[in-house]
Amino acid sequence: MKTQLAMVIDASRCWDCKACMAACKTANKVPEGQWRNWIKSVDLDLVEPGGGRLIFQPGNCMHCSEPLCIKACPTGATYRNEADGTVLINRELCIGCGQCLPACPYGARFRHAELRVADKCDFCAERRAAGLEPACVATCPTKARAFGNLADPESEVARLLKRNESVQLVQAKSPTDPNIRYLGNPGRTDWPVEAQMPSAFGFWKNVAGPVVKIFVGFSALGFGAMLAKQLFLPDHPEEDRQPEEKRHE
Amino acid sequence: MGTNQPLTLSRRNFLKVAGAAAAAGTGLIRPNSANSATPEAPSFESKYSVCDMCFNKCSLIARVRNGVVEKLDPNPKFHKSRGMLCARGNAGVRQLYDPDRLKSPLLRKGERGEGKWQRLTWDQALDHAAEQLLKIGEQYTRCGVMFMAGADMQSTFVHRFADVYGSYNKLSHESMCLIAGTRGFLDTFGEVPIPDMQYTKYVVMSGANRFEALVTPDSMDLMKAMAGGCKLVVLDPRYTKTAALAHEYFPVRPGTDMAVMLAFAHVLITEGLYDREFVEQKCYGIEQLAEHVKQYSPEWAEKECEIPAEAIRRIAREMAAAAPQAMIYPGRRSSNYRNSTQIRRAYAIVNALLGNWDRPGGLTAARMVGLKSPGYDAPFYESNPFERIDHGVAKLMFEEEGSLKIARDAVLREEPYPVKGFFTYKTNPMQTAANRSKTIEMIRKLDFMCTVDIVMSDTAWMADLVLPSQAAFERTDPCSAQQGSSACACVVMRDPVVSDPLFESKPVFWMMKELADRLDLGEYFDLSIEEYRKEQLRDLPGAMDALINDGVYYNPSKLYGVYEGRIFKTKTHKIELFNETYQQMGLDPLPVYESPTAPPKNQFRMVVGRTATITQSSSQNNSLLQEFEPENDLWIHPDSAAALGIHDGDPVTVSGKVGEQRIRARVTRRTRPDTVYMHTGYGVLSKGLSRLQGKGACIAQVLEDGLDEISGNMAMHETFVKITKEKKS
Repeated sequence: MKTQLAMVIDASRCWDCKACMAACKTANKVPEGQWRNWIKSVDLDLVEPGGGRLIFQPGNCMHCSEPLCIKACPTGATYRNEADGTVLINRELCIGCGQCLPACPYGARFRHAELRVADKCDFCAERRAAGLEPACVATCPTKARAFGNLADPESEVARLLKRNESVQLVQAKSPTDPNIRYLGNPGRTDWPVEAQMPSAFGFWKNVAGPVVKIFVGFSALGFGAMLAKQLFLPDHPEEDRQPEEKRHE
Repeated sequence: MGTNQPLTLSRRNFLKVAGAAAAAGTGLIRPNSANSATPEAPSFESKYSVCDMCFNKCSLIARVRNGVVEKLDPNPKFHKSRGMLCARGNAGVRQLYDPDRLKSPLLRKGERGEGKWQRLTWDQALDHAAEQLLKIGEQYTRCGVMFMAGADMQSTFVHRFADVYGSYNKLSHESMCLIAGTRGFLDTFGEVPIPDMQYTKYVVMSGANRFEALVTPDSMDLMKAMAGGCKLVVLDPRYTKTAALAHEYFPVRPGTDMAVMLAFAHVLITEGLYDREFVEQKCYGIEQLAEHVKQYSPEWAEKECEIPAEAIRRIAREMAAAAPQAMIYPGRRSSNYRNSTQIRRAYAIVNALLGNWDRPGGLTAARMVGLKSPGYDAPFYESNPFERIDHGVAKLMFEEEGSLKIARDAVLREEPYPVKGFFTYKTNPMQTAANRSKTIEMIRKLDFMCTVDIVMSDTAWMADLVLPSQAAFERTDPCSAQQGSSACACVVMRDPVVSDPLFESKPVFWMMKELADRLDLGEYFDLSIEEYRKEQLRDLPGAMDALINDGVYYNPSKLYGVYEGRIFKTKTHKIELFNETYQQMGLDPLPVYESPTAPPKNQFRMVVGRTATITQSSSQNNSLLQEFEPENDLWIHPDSAAALGIHDGDPVTVSGKVGEQRIRARVTRRTRPDTVYMHTGYGVLSKGLSRLQGKGACIAQVLEDGLDEISGNMAMHETFVKITKEKKS
């Protein structure tokens, strides 16, 4: 049977306590100032106090079935793990060019400040190999997150989706078929942004067809330059599209 | 390419190279051809322990690789936390490996608080402490040393040491936290009830912020209950996250919660909605209460609390309809007002009217856990005075908790007798007690102050001798009993997760033992923690096995109907709506409302609160948690800010009667126009907290130290402050 790992999140159960973010940071040794996951909310300062029940929306890499980040990656470092449907990054192959960062409508990717390669949620691959749930799922105080194989009708995620209405957060201009499903009303859905694909790549990949495999090679020089830049030049913070965390939230 | 080729690439050759690179780029050198990569399973050991980041003591599993704790996970078998670990719990790794940890015993060399220290060996440090304790004991009696220990699994040994050393002056942190609420409920029900949040249908939460100030299992169970249809009504001057997630929120005028409760009672009684059978059988004083609350109509209350009368009436009716699965949430921290005991008694009375006692979804009695407290006979010291130093001010102070507010004033006055020694363990009154200047003044009166902690807290910073304590994961600790209503009555314990404690740190148990030996009191500490635990568990066969195998032992003791056929532990043997003991003591036998003074023009009431990433003053320097709350700011309503010309982010001075602080303004509608707020625990004096230097302001410096005269709780919401805009620096 095909495996598609997925998360089902009941945002109405989230109280914005940051346990998932702290657990993820520790489990995955994510550097200071960077995060593999987030909790989105409307800024409480902008809400009329008492204006109805609010919703906090936890999230992370959506391990999309149609990921644009893979298309943006010039080296094949970002790939889809056929065994379980997760989207992963091979750090050995990543040259830290940053092309994949704006290709993600959810801003799930960032350049790891210490390793200088692309980084994002991998559904805690190492923990799963040890038979543990992803850190954010295991730690969540309200059990707002469920995790499992969407393709298995007996799994908790499949059963939750069968019993409840659910939504995907889809960016209309950059649909990616994300594998995080939100139960009921996930709150704010307008934040994902249109993916920005590297233009040369888009052109060659879409227009030139099979010939692209040869011509992409031209970029080898570019890779070298990128690599040099990566190794010797300082980071440009504006390249990192970390999801904006509202102050205090 | 041949070796003879020139180093410039021909076009043809370049394509060859590029083709290879392109092939590489499209997948040929991926991890494997099937694109499936399974990382190797990490080879960590999993060990049960107990979290030490707040008082909740959640059982957890430490993942240890090569002797290093890499990750902390919740123990799924631990029902009290509902198998969770919060952000602070996760940050426990950073507490263990905090580079700011104290590394050796330190003796003050310069002035108090100057930060000049001399490193001592343990023998030197303990000899010095013993010498000082003897000297003060001889000069001022043994009660001349005051002991204060925070919530910790080894605090019991500090109290044991105080007892055998001969001082009655033992304090806990609780007189700055929950004792007013404890008093109010105890003096109504005869014990302190535990809310059964899991099965409740209607909760009014006033003076509590359970979705930020996490309490296990209440916080988790309330969220679960709400998913099942439970209604939550929140009353708070601040728009907390609990308020944001509530079905209804009212920005109540601070200090008027009692008016709301009395109006609820008014509606329940005048409309005949209270549980008549329950009240008739189990409560004392319904006639007096009925007469008393006649005056407290919702229309009257509206003028006090600024909640519409119609809403008060409706909520009272809704509660009655949901009863007995309805409650006024008892809350925890109640160190707010001079009359906080009476305010909380009003909460207790409404609960009694709802008849929710000892029933599912209501307030449940403490369950049997069965853990024993190994006893000892402390020696008698003839020269000692008759009473504690804080005796006789608060009429119903808990002797086992004491009152820091009263004790501090007594040390300053040197009356009823001088106290010249102060020993603190894992508590930080410099940050948590209102009126920091007074705390400093008190410390200056001392001949000797010894502080045991894992970091240089502000309290340690003021001490004469600082002793480095072990972090929780390095220690062997006694068992600890926990109550969780329908979640559990259970026991947890702590064994070391790492084999080598960092630096020269030692457990406080060892320090007490060593000091006792030096004072010829060794016989009282002639035990090991393992033996102590055996004593604790002597009536619970199988408990140790459960603790080893599951990290938790459950006593399947009775949960509901505990009081069937039993009397209440009160004077009248009933739930005391009307409290005769209070009457005899000259206290109001029924809660009498006094309208809180409104802040003078252009002044604001300052309130205290928490977030889910902050524990009192102990977590702010944690390198992970600091990312969530790097510093505090002053919450001020836009209308109030505009009147003062203050914009968001402006530096302002907050000044009150006892002190002032500089801080940045946060202009927000999340607080009432008459109320300002800042987080606790910033604006530190200690240079040993490296990540907090220059961060934020200290609320303790500004807050006045009011007193709840019944319980001795510190009243910390009685401060009015001026806010002045500063020139941008």
